[in-house]
Amino acid sequence: QHKQISGVSSGCQQGGCLTCSDYNGCLSCKPRFFMHLERIGMKQIGVCMTSCPPGFYGTRSPERNTCTKCRSDCESCFHKTFCTHCRAGFYLQQGKCQENCPEGMVRNEAQRECV
Amino acid sequence: AQDRQGPAAPLCPSPCQCEEDGIFVMVDCSELGLASVPTNLSPLTTYLDLSMNNISEIQPRAFHRLHLLSELRISGNQLRYISGHALQGLHNLKVLMLQNNQLERLPDDAPWDLPNLLSLRLDANLLSEVPAGAFRGVRSLRHLWLDDNSLTEIPVTALDSLPSLQAMTLALNQITHIPDYAFTNLSALVVLHLHNNQIRSMDARCFEGLHSLETLDLNYNDLQEFPVAIRTLSKLQELGFHNNNIKAIPERAFVGNPQLQTIHFYENPIQFVGKSAFQFLPKLHTLSLNGATQIQEFPDLKGTTSLEILTLTRAGLSALPLDLCEQLPRLRVLELSYNQIEDLPSFHHCSALQEIGLQHNQIRRIESSTFQQLTSLRAIDLSWNVIEWIHLDAFVSLHSLIKLDLTENRLSSVPVAGLGGLTHLKLRGNTELYEAFSPDYFPRMRVIEMPYAYQCCVYGSCDSYKPASQWDTEQSNTDEDLHKRTVAMYPMHADTHYDPDLEEFQMEIEESKLQTSVQCTPTPGPFRPCDSLLGS
Repeated sequence: QHKQISGVSSGCQQGGCLTCSDYNGCLSCKPRFFMHLERIGMKQIGVCMTSCPPGFYGTRSPERNTCTKCRSDCESCFHKTFCTHCRAGFYLQQGKCQENCPEGMVRNEAQRECV
Repeated sequence: AQDRQGPAAPLCPSPCQCEEDGIFVMVDCSELGLASVPTNLSPLTTYLDLSMNNISEIQPRAFHRLHLLSELRISGNQLRYISGHALQGLHNLKVLMLQNNQLERLPDDAPWDLPNLLSLRLDANLLSEVPAGAFRGVRSLRHLWLDDNSLTEIPVTALDSLPSLQAMTLALNQITHIPDYAFTNLSALVVLHLHNNQIRSMDARCFEGLHSLETLDLNYNDLQEFPVAIRTLSKLQELGFHNNNIKAIPERAFVGNPQLQTIHFYENPIQFVGKSAFQFLPKLHTLSLNGATQIQEFPDLKGTTSLEILTLTRAGLSALPLDLCEQLPRLRVLELSYNQIEDLPSFHHCSALQEIGLQHNQIRRIESSTFQQLTSLRAIDLSWNVIEWIHLDAFVSLHSLIKLDLTENRLSSVPVAGLGGLTHLKLRGNTELYEAFSPDYFPRMRVIEMPYAYQCCVYGSCDSYKPASQWDTEQSNTDEDLHKRTVAMYPMHADTHYDPDLEEFQMEIEESKLQTSVQCTPTPGPFRPCDSLLGS
């Protein structure tokens, strides 16, 4: 339901781009922006954004800020080991996506959580 | 590139783009150069993206009608301050993104009233402190980003208001110390990132209250001592304190953390490690210690039964415990190079062992029992030892062995039984080893290093059946050279264009290619002839 990508526009006009090429999009980002390689058909376009797209989480470090894929059962995550929203068929419990909820908890289908 | 579909829905503020979601509407106003929040937003808005504009302030009551708004993105603007009144009315807000602004402070007396907020992003701003009351109105918060700001201390009082917090990052700030009871109310916290600060010291009870913590990241700080405060973290699974300044790991260091699966602590000047430091960690699968020169004895790994990778290099080990494999039945990789080990125990209980690195030690002998029954063993590195003798049956049961490195030892013979699967064999530097091993011993060999060049002649790499006097420079075995020799073997009758069965023909080429593709060094040449000149 959420917008696919936030804080980004196409090609070289992006606000977060530091260096850019018409063919590959952003080659490097301004400080504090996340660099993400977005696949469009066969091409990969460099995109600079303030938050990583769904299915990825951001890691900040002094040298660069990168987007890394969440686990396969997770739709959005805080970190590799901590999910914030599970994929269909999985239910969130303390940052983990499980097919079944622990004893004493039930599935909330709308939120995909164990409650 | 952002895909904005569909004609502007009614009640969609220009120049934004809207998307209907049943009766609700999702509004995308990102990257439009806006200087303020659009005023005519529909009360049915559930998602509003204002990121990457030029908004420097939010007018009071800008969102007061948006009771159904679930996600609000204002990242990438020029906001310096957002008062409590600015976010009035957002009773259903779950996600608030304020990262990449210029926020210098947060409201204290009249904080944001967002009772259902779950995720709050404040990363990449200019916050030097978090007032005590800043989070009083967001009690349901689960995920908090405060990384990449200018905090110099843990916002202890502010965090007291967040009993439901599960994940928090305070990384990339200027925090220097963690006081006692810094996170005492965060009983639901699972992940805590503190990497890339300047943390030099921690009080012994600073992690009290973190009953659910599973991941603690202290990498890239300035810790001088081992963080004994972790002792209270009984649920801890992943711990990182690499790139610090810790010199010793004490006895029973992880006695309070039986759930630990990974510990990253490389890039520390660790000299001493308590013998019992890594005991009773039944879920630990990797342990790497490099350069801890004060380690004289092999660590006691009682109860750390799941270890698969053990690296203990550049220490002062001179012996290995006889019951090493009883303690570590699942060991796959054992790397003990650059120690002073003289005698080896039998590794035969380490039945899962795949790689052994024992280079640069003082090993003298290899017994028949040393590597017995290690049917999964693929690589042994025994180079740079003082091995004089290897039992005839030492390698007999090593059916998976493909790499054996005996470089720079004192061998005068090498038992070949069990070495039929080798692809890499290194014997350079064994100056008393004169035998020219027949290729028949090593049908799969690809790279072999011998003490002397003449030992490579059996591999046809020096056209050895020519008398030495006719030795000349055409000794290269390029494909072209191979082709000429193959055609000579299979004369084609030019007039009948007869071609032998192509597949069989190629098979033979491959076969002959295999014969000459073994890379044997040192390569014989004019000054290293094929004849065995003793001592040459």
